[in-house]
Amino acid sequence: MSQGEALPPLARGGHTLHCTRCVAGLPSSQTEIDSSRLALAFYCLGSLDLLDTLNAKISDADRESWKEWIWEQQAHGKYGTGFKPSSYMTPEDASVNDEYSENDTPHLIMTYTGMLSLAILRDNFDKLDRPGIIKFLRSCQRSDGSFSSIPDSTESDLRLVYCAFAISTFLDDWSGVDIAKSVTFIKRCRTYEGGYGQEPCAEAQGRDCHLFVFLHEMLTVLGGTTYCALAALHLAPSLPNDPLPLTPRERHQTVRWLIQNQDDSGGFRGRTGKDADACYCFWCGASLQILGVPDVLDPIALAAFLARCQFKYGGIAKAPGEHPGQDFVDTSLEPSADPFSPDPYHTYLSLAALSIHPPHTSDTTWKLDALDPLLNARSATAAWAREKIPAQ
Amino acid sequence: MSASSDSIELYADDPEWADIEPVRQYENPNPLAPIFYTEEYRDATDYFRGVVKKGDMSPRVLDLTEKIIRLNPAHYSAWQYRYKVLLALKSPLDLELRLMDELAVKFLKTYQVWHHRRLLISHPQLSSSKSSSFYLTAELRFIAKCLVVDSKNYHTWSYRQWLLSNFFSGGERGKEEEEVWKKEMEWIEQMIEEDVRNNSVWHHRFFVVFQSGIRVGDEDREVVRRREIDFAKDKISLAPSNPSAWNYLRGVLDNNNLPYSDLSIFVRPYAQARSPDAEADEVIDLENPSPSKGAQLPCVPAIEFLADVYESGKSRDDIEKAAQLWKSLANEYDTIRKKYWEYRIKEALEVLPA
Ligand SMILES: [Zn+2]
Repeated sequence: MSQGEALPPLARGGHTLHCTRCVAGLPSSQTEIDSSRLALAFYCLGSLDLLDTLNAKISDADRESWKEWIWEQQAHGKYGTGFKPSSYMTPEDASVNDEYSENDTPHLIMTYTGMLSLAILRDNFDKLDRPGIIKFLRSCQRSDGSFSSIPDSTESDLRLVYCAFAISTFLDDWSGVDIAKSVTFIKRCRTYEGGYGQEPCAEAQGRDCHLFVFLHEMLTVLGGTTYCALAALHLAPSLPNDPLPLTPRERHQTVRWLIQNQDDSGGFRGRTGKDADACYCFWCGASLQILGVPDVLDPIALAAFLARCQFKYGGIAKAPGEHPGQDFVDTSLEPSADPFSPDPYHTYLSLAALSIHPPHTSDTTWKLDALDPLLNARSATAAWAREKIPAQ
Repeated sequence: MSASSDSIELYADDPEWADIEPVRQYENPNPLAPIFYTEEYRDATDYFRGVVKKGDMSPRVLDLTEKIIRLNPAHYSAWQYRYKVLLALKSPLDLELRLMDELAVKFLKTYQVWHHRRLLISHPQLSSSKSSSFYLTAELRFIAKCLVVDSKNYHTWSYRQWLLSNFFSGGERGKEEEEVWKKEMEWIEQMIEEDVRNNSVWHHRFFVVFQSGIRVGDEDREVVRRREIDFAKDKISLAPSNPSAWNYLRGVLDNNNLPYSDLSIFVRPYAQARSPDAEADEVIDLENPSPSKGAQLPCVPAIEFLADVYESGKSRDDIEKAAQLWKSLANEYDTIRKKYWEYRIKEALEVLPA
């Protein structure tokens, strides 16, 4: 018997249920999600996409109205066009043709997750304001090459460069970004360990899971900054005098640092000396794939770790824990109750990690479709986005 | 009003807000992931949308936005609007900073708390005032206090580095800058003393020594390099399997293009099992401190380091020695990375002539 045969099943039904419950509604303890609901929606839809339950478990009518909701977040105005996190600042009597106000601007991360969510729902993108999005990217790029989340904000870091590059890839149009400047910025974020920090000189990789709301991780990190750096460098069209995203020596050092982060539990940690966390199984696992060495990690150990992060009623948590019977959408959940409750962010990224690094096992519950590691979407969805989003 | 409102004060019931028309939130009939707000939050945000619509910049908006932020610290529109109101009212920003002291600890992991702080301290009212030194050094002390609560918090560390490079690196504060950086090194030593495995502190040290300019007294870079290598060696000897110290050592070598082989004498005892008569022939070598008593040997980072030394030798004999070490990692000492060590062996052998 191979080690893979000792794995418990991947609880696909439970994970589907977790995501459909989150999509249906969140308790008031999750109010912080308000300013990033579109990102949360992406993690739910992405999970259903990877589990291949989107068509089976969701009615056509629901899928249509979800598309409509996402399109409602597309807003135009003086900085160009992008997607807002939700209607949390939208007045009840607003009309679709209104320009956004200075206090309700679109957000770069929401624009990326919104477009990807629409691709998951197989939208035909005829409502997309392409020139407006290009203008929005321009409004968000800063003089050091980084991007800010909303125009004129000083909040800028590596994950936003990634979003801008992914959006340019979707559009197949790079006229909204100064690529050379951004690449310089990314390289300045490289650390002595071989990872990448949020901003120049910062420690490599992301931050920790917040106690009860994973939002901080989802939004302020958008996961591993090292992933964001590597994916962005590989998405960018190569520059004439800088043909390689990384020098061989840098690549060697980064592979070393990434693989060092797999600990004895089989999971990956985000920073040297911290505990393993389900989301880093993706951020590090996908990075290794991007660097062309997917086989250096142990997929059985990885799957065994993620199997232990599964919550008994569905959903995947950041780490194995007691999971005392409460989950993210449980309305009785007190804010500080359980740091190990499952959430759509860890659920999606765990599934994404598994589709890149499937364990060898005859148990078919573990079998997932391939994933595009650069765009962070199921390959069929990424292909749809690349085909339908560019101007026809 | 529903029964739940008897304990909470609603803006809707407050005569002071009677002139503001609350604006309800738009919602699609079938939205994705709607949030079931509390009545308190719904009421406050209704009034916030009303305020924004009217363009109200009166002092009461500071109370309203504070309330929303306490209910939802990630509400970036409330933060944004609050900052505009502070400026419009010419409010004393040092008072706002003191409020942030409380909120930062409460919402240590919320990005907006730190972002708002950067805006405040960068504002000329604080950073160009006569008391700017007072405010800035108070910030450094405040961060140190936050790090007592959470010594690895990413926001806190990056805020500290941002402060140091933005306000203490230009030379315009003269002697005071020197003093700040000197204290910074002492504080780092103390933090590492407290937890030698805290990678964030190691990172901060690298930033201070190599990435933020050259300090008075540190002009001779050769001396600095040696000092840092000795520092890392010393900390390795205390906890030989601590990856943070090894990564720092590698970082210093890589950054200065120094060969790993310079360290072979130091590394060797860490890469082999302790011999029973080790105590007897132990010579105290200050430059190459030996593993502390009781440390588990050999340790993985040392075996890896020694293998890298061999690999850089490039002869067949060297590569074979490196491969032996990698094999021991793959099969005995670091089996979780078995596939990685096997990959290293394959890569190294491939470049050898057949
Ligand atoms: Zn996580």
